[in-house]
Amino acid sequence: MNPQVLQDFLRPESLWALAPFSVLCLGAMLVLLADILPGTGVLRRPLFLLTIAAAIVCTLRGFSAPEATYLMGSFHHSHALSAWTLLFLLSGLIAFEFGQRYYREEAAFLAEHDVLMLTSIAGMVLMAGAADLLTFFIGLETLSVPLYTLAAFRRARSDSVEAGLKYFMLGAFAAAMFLYGAALVYAATGTISIEVMRGLGTTLGEPLALVGFALIAGSLFFKVSVFPFHFWVPDVYQGAPTPVTAFMATGTKAAGFAFLLTLMGQNAVNGKPVLPESAAWIVGWIAVLTMAAGNLGALVQTDLKRMLAYSGVAHAGTMLLAIAAGWHDTQPHGAQDALLYYMAAYVFTAGGAFGLLAWLESEGGAVTVESLKGLSSRKPLLAAAMAVFMLSLGGIPPLGGFWGKYLVFACAVRAEMIPLAVIGVLMSVIALGYYLKVIVAMYMQPQTETRSFALGSRWAAAIATGLCALIVLAIGLMPNWVLERLG
Amino acid sequence: MDSLTLLVFLPLLGALVVALTPRDAIALQRGITFTTLLAVCLLGLKACVGFDGSSAACQQVVDIPWFALPAGGSTVPVHFKLGLDGLSVLMVGLTALLGPIVMLSTWGHITTRVKEYTIWLLVMQSGMLGVFLALDIVLFYVFWELTLIPLYFMVGIWGGERRLYATIKFFLYTMAGSLVMLVGVILLIYLLKTADIQALTEGADRLGLTRQTWLFWAFALAFLIKVPSLPFHTWLPDAHTEAPTSGSVILAGVLLKMGTYGLLRFCIAMFPAAAIGAAPLMMALGMLGIVYGALLAMAQYDLKRLVACSSVSHLGYVLLGMFAFTQAGVRGSVLQMVNHGLSTGLLFLLIGMIYERRHTRMLDQFGGLARVMPLFALFFTLAVLSSVGLPGLNGFVGEYLILLGSFEPQPWITSVAVTGVIFGAIYLLMATRKLLYGPLERPENKALSDINLREVGLMLPIVVLFFWIGFAPNTFLSRTDASIDALLARVAKARVTLAAELPREPDHR
Repeated sequence: MNPQVLQDFLRPESLWALAPFSVLCLGAMLVLLADILPGTGVLRRPLFLLTIAAAIVCTLRGFSAPEATYLMGSFHHSHALSAWTLLFLLSGLIAFEFGQRYYREEAAFLAEHDVLMLTSIAGMVLMAGAADLLTFFIGLETLSVPLYTLAAFRRARSDSVEAGLKYFMLGAFAAAMFLYGAALVYAATGTISIEVMRGLGTTLGEPLALVGFALIAGSLFFKVSVFPFHFWVPDVYQGAPTPVTAFMATGTKAAGFAFLLTLMGQNAVNGKPVLPESAAWIVGWIAVLTMAAGNLGALVQTDLKRMLAYSGVAHAGTMLLAIAAGWHDTQPHGAQDALLYYMAAYVFTAGGAFGLLAWLESEGGAVTVESLKGLSSRKPLLAAAMAVFMLSLGGIPPLGGFWGKYLVFACAVRAEMIPLAVIGVLMSVIALGYYLKVIVAMYMQPQTETRSFALGSRWAAAIATGLCALIVLAIGLMPNWVLERLG
Repeated sequence: MDSLTLLVFLPLLGALVVALTPRDAIALQRGITFTTLLAVCLLGLKACVGFDGSSAACQQVVDIPWFALPAGGSTVPVHFKLGLDGLSVLMVGLTALLGPIVMLSTWGHITTRVKEYTIWLLVMQSGMLGVFLALDIVLFYVFWELTLIPLYFMVGIWGGERRLYATIKFFLYTMAGSLVMLVGVILLIYLLKTADIQALTEGADRLGLTRQTWLFWAFALAFLIKVPSLPFHTWLPDAHTEAPTSGSVILAGVLLKMGTYGLLRFCIAMFPAAAIGAAPLMMALGMLGIVYGALLAMAQYDLKRLVACSSVSHLGYVLLGMFAFTQAGVRGSVLQMVNHGLSTGLLFLLIGMIYERRHTRMLDQFGGLARVMPLFALFFTLAVLSSVGLPGLNGFVGEYLILLGSFEPQPWITSVAVTGVIFGAIYLLMATRKLLYGPLERPENKALSDINLREVGLMLPIVVLFFWIGFAPNTFLSRTDASIDALLARVAKARVTLAAELPREPDHR
């Protein structure tokens, strides 16, 4: 090992900057240890929660730390990184809480589940903080490999195994695409550092670099489920255990967008995009096509999980619009602020919705729109929470999802991409078609199935659902709580 | 707390209290809701009475900073800002007044899931008052969207047979318009770096005509769908027919006025130059609405659908008068907004009462009701006469002012629109004849009981206003005049600027 790296790592400020990452790795090892050592199995849950809590504390401290690059220019700490890290941790926490008592025959392996999840979050932090292509790739793999396993975690069920395998195959393909792209970019520019690339100017416009960036963008689009790289999403989201789906839909997406923002120069003071400007409208149209693919796909679904999977694709499209606007946005960090807010709302909304689904599913199989009929009279609070999540996903004020949508479309308007903004908002009218379908079933149609959803005492899930719904409402009424912490 | 803030939050507070009551305590829920709405009504009327009509400025302003939105290098503060001016004062009064009336009417037709219904009713009242009082465009938009959800549930849960179709159609139509307006709102805030409606109104002049025109249509689309004007009117008959009585009254009484109010407050006041260009088209749309709505109404057998179609016709007048840009036309429009809310609201209440007794609204099922229900017949006839514009009642004043004001700028369009008055009389009087007069043949009809004290009581305030507006419209118009004059002055100024720019255009080429 290069001694200079170690020396660099041991400086107090870099220890603090990397603290969330280190804490997560340490926590993962401790949970693993607690599983092996006899009699310490009960420590699994407290250890996981403790790790997350410690990481949150370190992250909050990071908010006030100055912006700097550590580990010989490979890890960039910024205000935004702390915000992203917080979102990853919350996303993992929500998935963890809803995962309690979700698994039955796999319950004996929950320690592995938790270790994989912590490792995956650590990967996300590395992705969001990566200042060069190689660090990002390591983060990407640290995130992905545990997720492949988690997707196939219900190994007794064929759809779960299928989801894991499918995700693995396509994920490996995307990783290869990234590496190939990174290699081409290195060949063209002679560097893997994004900071150095920003200063290169016209070299970035060379054909070799353009092809390289296109491949890199393609692999990122795969991770955040953007058209035409979104075809794996419905199957994988549906087959994976629902708490894992919640984690994938929120955390992975956030990590992918965090690095896209890094490439757009949004996380650095006066940062310039390294992606070519000529891509702005192409990315914009891809965003709109993603919204169309997601929304039209969701419109015809009857299985709620699959519907939410397609809705996740549509949301990725909306978020990509902010990226597309990033080249011409007159607001510094406009896309980053918009996406951080969007993601903050989305983590609680989609996390809550998928989590609620996991809760309902554990009472007997897949949840369809049909099986939700009449839920409001049987479980009024549950139905109300689901309605809040649906309306927030649909972007209805005064819920959190609305401001996210507002900020993203504001980016597009500032970048003079008004046609895209108009098509985008009209897409969200289509989206309301299926979000309303869920509410219609819960509130306006009589019960047709005999399934009673006799939900047992699941305090973890109940509290998580309630908190998610309240937070979605609170950041909708008081968007400044989030907005003021972005800039 | 300031009275306007209280006005907006009191219903929400009531909704919270109702939410805490046990599910079966129906009497308690009704009691709380009625008391809250009555208090809101008194507060609202007090605010309107205390309004000084001689000034065009916003009055009783409440201004609390809320948060800041990024807008290109700087942030734009968004305020919780409420206030009354001549354009909103009558609408606030109407909304506040209809609240307790609507609540009283629910005794008859909302018997299941009362708790949820009263909560939605209260949330709706907050949203509607917020729309008319908001002086910050972001706040306006939030309230505007907030009014969608209660009606969506009201129609969807307590509506008629095709309620799901009607409620989803209503929601998606309105949402499509609202979202295009959202892009307009974003662009406007970005261009002018403020979200304050008064500041935006002052500043929008600086935008070029092309920008103004695009923004005008982004806003106008949302409002035209809400009004609804041709060709976006098809959601209305469905929503009205399927809605429970109280939902229909709110829809006709207040929600549709949000569209016409928005046209005045945003489209005309902010983008007068674009409005001048669009005026002939808008007036033509109004005229088409008047005639087509009347023809639709003539073909209906379902009494409720008939009145719903007549709404399309009546709101056509409002559109026609508003874009005439004459004092008479705009005054008439503003008054007609109130008139339509009162007379159509009363018609829906009456239709609800007969439906509660007979469980049908088909005209061929009735006849001769005047003999068994004399009081009902009296109120129904009054509502119809007000609706067709009989002199001495409110409808006449509004329609007359509108037609008078519109004739000068657009004589041909107005001449065609006048036929709507005749059609209106035909279909409404025909319906009255079929319902109330003729032989009393069916045994079910012979057994009908007349309206009770509660029903008379809830309708009485509306009837008093019929005569009040009919005989002394100045009580109401005097409060709007200063603001309307200011609005027309803006239009006149824009006309002068446009005229000055037009001859120079060849130089640019």
